[in-house]
Amino acid sequence: MVAEYGVKYAVHIITNHFGDLVAKVCDCLLRRGPLTRQNIKRYTELSDEQVKNALLVLIQQNCVQAFSTEQPGTFGDAPKVNTQYAVLFDNILHRLRFAKFLTIVSQEFDKQCGELLQGLLEHGRLTLKQMFDRAKASQQEGNLVVLDSVREILLKLVTAHYVERCPAPEPLLMPTNEEENPARKRGPKSAKKNEESETIEQQVIAAAVPMEAMRFSVVTEMEFDDGGEGKEKSKNRMIPGEKRKHHFLESDDCGAGDEQTVLYRANFEEFIRHLRHKACIDNVRERLDDGAASVLSAMLEATRSAEKKVKTKNSVPLSLSSIYEEVIKSEAGRNMTLDHVRASLVQLGQPPFVKGSSDSYSIEFEKIIEIAQNDEVESIVLKRYGRDAYRIFRLLSKAGRLLETDKISDTTFVEKKDAPKVLYKLWKDGYLHMESFVISVLVPENNFTSMYFVKIWLLKKLVVAGARQSQFLLWKVNKHILWEHVLDEMFHAALNLSLRVACELDQEKELLNLPADKRTGALQDRYNRLRKVRILMESSQMKLDDSIMLFHDF
Amino acid sequence: MSKRKRPDSNTPADALTEHEHIIYDVIRSKQDMGIWTRDMKRELQTNIPDNIVTKSLKSLQAKKLIKEVVNIQNKGRKHFMAVEFKPSKEISGGAWYVEGNLDTDFIKVVKDQCIKHINRLKVATLEGITDSIKRSGVFKDDLTKQQIEEIVRALVLDDEILEVKSNGSGEFANIPVGKICYKSMSRGSSGGGPKLQGLASVPCGVCPQINLCTPDGIISPKTCVYYTKWLDF
Repeated sequence: MVAEYGVKYAVHIITNHFGDLVAKVCDCLLRRGPLTRQNIKRYTELSDEQVKNALLVLIQQNCVQAFSTEQPGTFGDAPKVNTQYAVLFDNILHRLRFAKFLTIVSQEFDKQCGELLQGLLEHGRLTLKQMFDRAKASQQEGNLVVLDSVREILLKLVTAHYVERCPAPEPLLMPTNEEENPARKRGPKSAKKNEESETIEQQVIAAAVPMEAMRFSVVTEMEFDDGGEGKEKSKNRMIPGEKRKHHFLESDDCGAGDEQTVLYRANFEEFIRHLRHKACIDNVRERLDDGAASVLSAMLEATRSAEKKVKTKNSVPLSLSSIYEEVIKSEAGRNMTLDHVRASLVQLGQPPFVKGSSDSYSIEFEKIIEIAQNDEVESIVLKRYGRDAYRIFRLLSKAGRLLETDKISDTTFVEKKDAPKVLYKLWKDGYLHMESFVISVLVPENNFTSMYFVKIWLLKKLVVAGARQSQFLLWKVNKHILWEHVLDEMFHAALNLSLRVACELDQEKELLNLPADKRTGALQDRYNRLRKVRILMESSQMKLDDSIMLFHDF
Repeated sequence: MSKRKRPDSNTPADALTEHEHIIYDVIRSKQDMGIWTRDMKRELQTNIPDNIVTKSLKSLQAKKLIKEVVNIQNKGRKHFMAVEFKPSKEISGGAWYVEGNLDTDFIKVVKDQCIKHINRLKVATLEGITDSIKRSGVFKDDLTKQQIEEIVRALVLDDEILEVKSNGSGEFANIPVGKICYKSMSRGSSGGGPKLQGLASVPCGVCPQINLCTPDGIISPKTCVYYTKWLDF
């Protein structure tokens, strides 16, 4: 389930982009999970038409995915098929990353690719025909050249996986509960099962996504006025899709309709993967040096195609020679010797950013991301609670187990009387987990001392008559809970930033509407201030979003 | 103190009253741990009235047989120890404490020295650092390896230095494989903590009232004073 401020932030984004009605539907789906249209109507108290339009907008913008489930019919009735709508929280957040996505494409490709992607980001999904029309509208040159080049540009982006075919409009979601769960239970670890269990949204996405070959294909020989050839092509492409049942839905659409109906959209997954790689490289560069970053970058390049999902734990192994081959391909790595690469790999071995064993090296994504996440949380602790708290937090975070107050103050050189205060503050704000132990020593008359160790949870009072009690407090960083807490604070901060930007701009609305030549003296000063405010806040939004990605998407 | 006892105050230990004897024995039996007065009263075999206990303690102090020491665990408690013992680590807080307070100046000097020596050595084992500091002769009393270890660990927590394991090659050539070493931070990071990341760089990241802040509440981003201060150009 998405955290409270995650929902608020997402709804805020949708309100800004598509208005209150759409946001209301979105809010309802975010809080209640997938619903049928009837139920959305019921909960939002909107009219059928309003719900329908809101859903259409959200689907067009890839923020909602429809799916159908089959309910077994009663008393010999035919099974009933229900259409439900699932909101895609991640895709809503991606809306604020469009600038980042565009930068990636404009750095890698030419301006035209950027323009085509911009169209896709603005409109959510487009057919080749629509892309062509857009290009034609913005450019007044010969039609034929434009049509060919649009197809070529699209092909470039699709080959790089930055653009994909839209998923099936309404895949059928098979009930998994009864049949698959017993099989899963036999798995070795229950923890593993939990990790792998998918949310409905994830299942829907998985069911809707086309086959790899289909997903990244452009019907190149297609002509708009020559339906026959195109049809044949698409029929050819249906063959690999037959393995997956849900795929029939889409391929039927494809075969029956015109090629003009094949919709494309930006593939957010690939962009996020790109940003994840970039974050890894930046992190390694900061901790180690440019050489290590170049080696990692080359390894990422070489193993990228083997990555199946964004949150890959580690890359496929590479040999030293293949790493070197890749390193010298890049400009930064061209002057690196084999020895230098070997030394960088050794450097990368601690803490294992790259794990190496007998001439095979693989990237430990999880470790790199984990360290970056630690840095982020530690920097918050340092800024909010000071250096003593920072040292204490790092001790507990590294230890990963319960430590006693005294031990903590000894190891971190924090005054005995100050340590509990710092610890308490961190605990109160949800940064630490605390357990309290009470040791009761019974001292009866006959000098016979018996000792009871009683573990109690905090705030539970234990009364042992006639006993002396010493209370010990134990502390620990519970990363799982803390990370969620931090992410929620990030969503909260992002929402606040966005609200404040809007507020600042709103206050100076008149000033902004003033023509440039009328802004003189004090007005010009105010205008300059507003400009600085905007730059600072918008760059902070981008940086904060990097952190959100680090905790949510990577 | 009563008049009757005054002539006795300069005489040796055997000239103690019966009560003083009992109390002295209990305190002395605790050796370098000493004892808190309330614990002592509980341990006394015979019931001695409180005023007698207080009197006896004063008298024993005057006779220089016991001393009051600061117990680091609980500074408010009256804690006594026989004069011949030095307070144990549990009571005094250890080498880094002076009269019950953390000796921050001294700790800072040792930290700075450790960083200096690690920077010079580039990669160093604990023994290497201890040796290097010993040879420099900066400190009057030599620091033990354990003391240096405590400081070095704290420096790791400060993010001033890195703890790494030797792999026996390159910069670790002189260090056995698997041995823990300490390294100065590489040029990329400034040391002494992470750079300000996303959340910590905006007012909300350090806001003490974030939990009370809502879009249209009394505390709200639109009226937030921290933001106003942040955006004051």
